[in-house]
Amino acid sequence: MRPAPNTLELDEHLKEIVNALHRAVSYTMPHVDDPKIANKAIQDCKEILGVVMKGEISDWLK
Amino acid sequence: MFNDKVEAKDFEKMDPEYQDLLRRILTIQADCEIGGPHLYVEKMLPSAPTKLDQLIVARTAAEEIDHYRKIARLAGDIGVDVSFVLSWPNQKRYVETFRGKITTWEDFAVFGFLIDRVGRYQLEEFIGCTFAPVESLLPDIIKEEEGHIDFGATKTRELASKGDESKEKVQKALDYWYIKALDMFGRSESKRSERYCYWGIKRRTNAQAREAYMKEVKPLIEQMGIQVPDPNKGRLYL
Repeated sequence: MRPAPNTLELDEHLKEIVNALHRAVSYTMPHVDDPKIANKAIQDCKEILGVVMKGEISDWLK
Repeated sequence: MFNDKVEAKDFEKMDPEYQDLLRRILTIQADCEIGGPHLYVEKMLPSAPTKLDQLIVARTAAEEIDHYRKIARLAGDIGVDVSFVLSWPNQKRYVETFRGKITTWEDFAVFGFLIDRVGRYQLEEFIGCTFAPVESLLPDIIKEEEGHIDFGATKTRELASKGDESKEKVQKALDYWYIKALDMFGRSESKRSERYCYWGIKRRTNAQAREAYMKEVKPLIEQMGIQVPDPNKGRLYL
């Protein structure tokens, strides 16, 4: 059975995205009352999720 | 009734109807997983009431993206490319529920409480699925969906318990999402739903799953002091 094109590459890319989001959230949860740390993490999450929501797959796989 | 176990390598040997149904259900499942974040990330991530809530919105989206990834990998391994749903506008989603935008915290809470619960039902349909590779994905995905449901239920209860305007907003959100939730199960008389059961891809018909869902959520809504909407009003699929 031949896999669909880019199956593995997309899987790897999304895994990295998910891990980056989890890292940002997990690190920040215990410091959520520190505005500097919390704002930075939320901004990072916005940027990462913004890329996913755009869904420009060809850019991801470059 | 078909009840053999099918591995990915044997997928192409299966009856064309089985292949079509599995391709279809995996594509819709992937679309629903990524459809959630597309509904709420844009408005809820910047505007959730607290920093902690904002982080929980981000974590919820991360988990849904990961569910998409797992389903997409499974589909990709049998030659089904579901990546097109990553760039679809919401209006094109397979399931009507995912075609709008969530713009209020009440909607986000009730979405978790009711719609992620339908998500859990859809995933539980795959328990014992004849396509063996699906089952190994289920425990982790279902566990995370349960986390979303718990968060949604807790926030819905909190908002409802504030009374007055807050409770009214919850009722309004619930009136909207409850009907969407019931429609997500599809038509009761669906022939395709029977074929899914025949091939052992799903456990229950649309009607059976919807009935179980209604039985589960009714007391939960009532305990919150919220009125259970008329289940037949405004429905697209009966």
